[in-house]
Amino acid sequence: MITKSNLYRKEKIYGYLFILPPILGLLIFTLFPFVYSLYGSFTDWDGLGQMNFIGFDNFKDLFTDELFYKSMYNTLFLMLGIPIGLLLALLLALGLNRKIPGTTTFRVIYYIPVISSLAAVSIMWNWAYNGDYGLVNQFLELFGIKGPNWLMDKDTVKPALILMTVWKGLGYTMLLYLAALQSVSRSYYEAAELDGASGFQMFRNITWPMVKPVTFFLVVTNIIGGSQIFTEMNIMTPTGGPEYSSASIVFYIWDKAFKNLQMGYASAMAMILGIFIFIVTLIQFKMNEKSSFDGD
Amino acid sequence: MIKKKGFAMTMVVLLLMVAALAGCGGGSSSSDGSKELTFMFRGGTDEQKAYKEVIKKFEEEHPGVKVKMVVTAADQYATKLRAAITGNNLPDIFYFAPGDLKAYVNSGVLKDLTPYIEKNKDIKLDNIWKYGVDLYRYDGKMAGQGNIYGMPKDLGPFALGYNKTMFEKAGVPLPDKDKPYTWDEFIKISQELTKDTNGDGKPDQYGTGFNVQWALQAFVWSNGADWLDESKTKVTIDDPKFAEALQYFADMQNKYKITPGIEQSQTLDTYQRWMKGEMAFFPVGPWDMSTFEKLPFEYDLLPFPAGSTGKSATWIGSLGIGVSSKTKYPDEAVELVNYLTTSKEGMKQLVDAKVQIPNLLDMADEWSKDTKTKPNNKQEFIDIVNDYGRALPGNYTYNAEWYDIFFTDIQPVLDGKITAADYVKQEQPKMQKLLDKAVEQEKKSQK
Repeated sequence: MITKSNLYRKEKIYGYLFILPPILGLLIFTLFPFVYSLYGSFTDWDGLGQMNFIGFDNFKDLFTDELFYKSMYNTLFLMLGIPIGLLLALLLALGLNRKIPGTTTFRVIYYIPVISSLAAVSIMWNWAYNGDYGLVNQFLELFGIKGPNWLMDKDTVKPALILMTVWKGLGYTMLLYLAALQSVSRSYYEAAELDGASGFQMFRNITWPMVKPVTFFLVVTNIIGGSQIFTEMNIMTPTGGPEYSSASIVFYIWDKAFKNLQMGYASAMAMILGIFIFIVTLIQFKMNEKSSFDGD
Repeated sequence: MIKKKGFAMTMVVLLLMVAALAGCGGGSSSSDGSKELTFMFRGGTDEQKAYKEVIKKFEEEHPGVKVKMVVTAADQYATKLRAAITGNNLPDIFYFAPGDLKAYVNSGVLKDLTPYIEKNKDIKLDNIWKYGVDLYRYDGKMAGQGNIYGMPKDLGPFALGYNKTMFEKAGVPLPDKDKPYTWDEFIKISQELTKDTNGDGKPDQYGTGFNVQWALQAFVWSNGADWLDESKTKVTIDDPKFAEALQYFADMQNKYKITPGIEQSQTLDTYQRWMKGEMAFFPVGPWDMSTFEKLPFEYDLLPFPAGSTGKSATWIGSLGIGVSSKTKYPDEAVELVNYLTTSKEGMKQLVDAKVQIPNLLDMADEWSKDTKTKPNNKQEFIDIVNDYGRALPGNYTYNAEWYDIFFTDIQPVLDGKITAADYVKQEQPKMQKLLDKAVEQEKKSQK
């Protein structure tokens, strides 16, 4: 006996079944670990045995942990690459947006690093930064400069990592900017030209405001991604670099959790990192709301 | 009808997903009904090859048992194992570091092997290095006594090697294998052998090039100092004897220039320089033997130079092979551990492959007397195990964080930017704080 409601019910079941996999995925791989880690951050769990509740002790310890501050500082320092990357990518995108021959080739060249495996890229740069036979120093030698041993010196290891992350992300950022540039209507520029605006004025008053949503998106995602940087240093400086100067916060979390049997403490750090990312993103959204209001 | 089929399909897909999520446990029976064991280990290519052969032989001798081998890179092994434990996905049989013994026993990861070993008449514990077996004993309070939770895969005495061909070419008298160099002698000989051989103004042959993390111990201990006191609860690096040894180590590069400087050493690895015959002295572990067989020069072993105690010192590494407490086939798993660590057949294959020294005393005796194969003075390895080798300081404590940080911060000393005396003063409180934490953690895990 098939009634109308019965039919609907069947469809409902199918519907739920089809959305079940992603929901299950979210529950199992995101929500459950999150809650577990939140609870873990209040315990002295070593990752193996039982969990004893110790309240806020882990968080108190964090405030006096030199390496926590150091790895936090390193992470923030490495984010200097974000504005550099955005600026370079925008310049490149402006260049490639013109009708000159060979742009497709260049676009491909800049995009190749993006699709390459991060591990492979890290290993390649590891060679390039080698003090003796590395590509970077051989290049510097052409100008008579004796390059440092990049990854072994605490003063050069962070700039070296920044250079690499900028290079790796350039293609992706450029592509987004390129798309944004191409969606800007030509009529704005024509009108501006008639009014006698200079190239820079056009960029300032037309291009920059028009690509602003993309810039905003990139800043937010880059900061989130930048806070979680890990693979690069794990491969290039597996002990955290000279005097721990290239260890990021995620690297330190990983170190504590899996090397030193302090899963609870590591969870507490992960919580702080999560809160940090949340706040930074919130501020950016607020700022974006405000400034776009002003602009219009 | 079609709709029904669709529903069935969805269910199948879902079931598959659930199965994929759940189907991660170890120790399953394979389709032909044989018992399958998972063995997780690490090692260089020669070592992997040797172990593959031994496992093949084991499977031949034990029909109905299949062994699945999981190999990981050496520097990632410990992390992968921890992740497997946390994820409740432990292999049946696996290597573990002696330093992790207490944590793994307290949390119930390792199976107590004592009843199985006592039951097995083929195992004669008094024919295996006592030092090796004791590394894997634990009574719930102290390591080194009580029940056995693993068997030593091998013992890794870290000896000093020298390039015999280079000595002969330079007309330098060969070292005496029974009398270690003094520190001064060692510097003098190394300086004689540090040379610019192609006349470009830069030396391309060096006395030595030690990795601080693996070679500093020899100098600290032979000078009568150590990282920890007797009770293993106090960091003792602020001892002047310790600072003296560390300064001596740093001076090799900065003052005596017998080792490649910071720009050269880290880049063209000192290991590679040694392999190319550009280094007079270099540490040699038993696991290196198969690789060093093909060196383009003759090499042999000698004791590390002796500091103020007049006695040479070095460490013995070891890895244990343990069985998961959750394995489905404990009998077969322990059988495999025994085959790899104590059986004549298994041991002979591994020793012949030149990846380790024998675990069995009688076999080791015979092996060390064979002076026809490289290195000639294999007795040095045996002497280290019998007489003067020690465990690395990190082995004694619940975790090695306090010990690791010593090496994380050490670069400025090696570069001559700060003195060893200043360094140990600045570093001791930091290390002590981490050690206190480890002691506290250990106490908590015992209850």
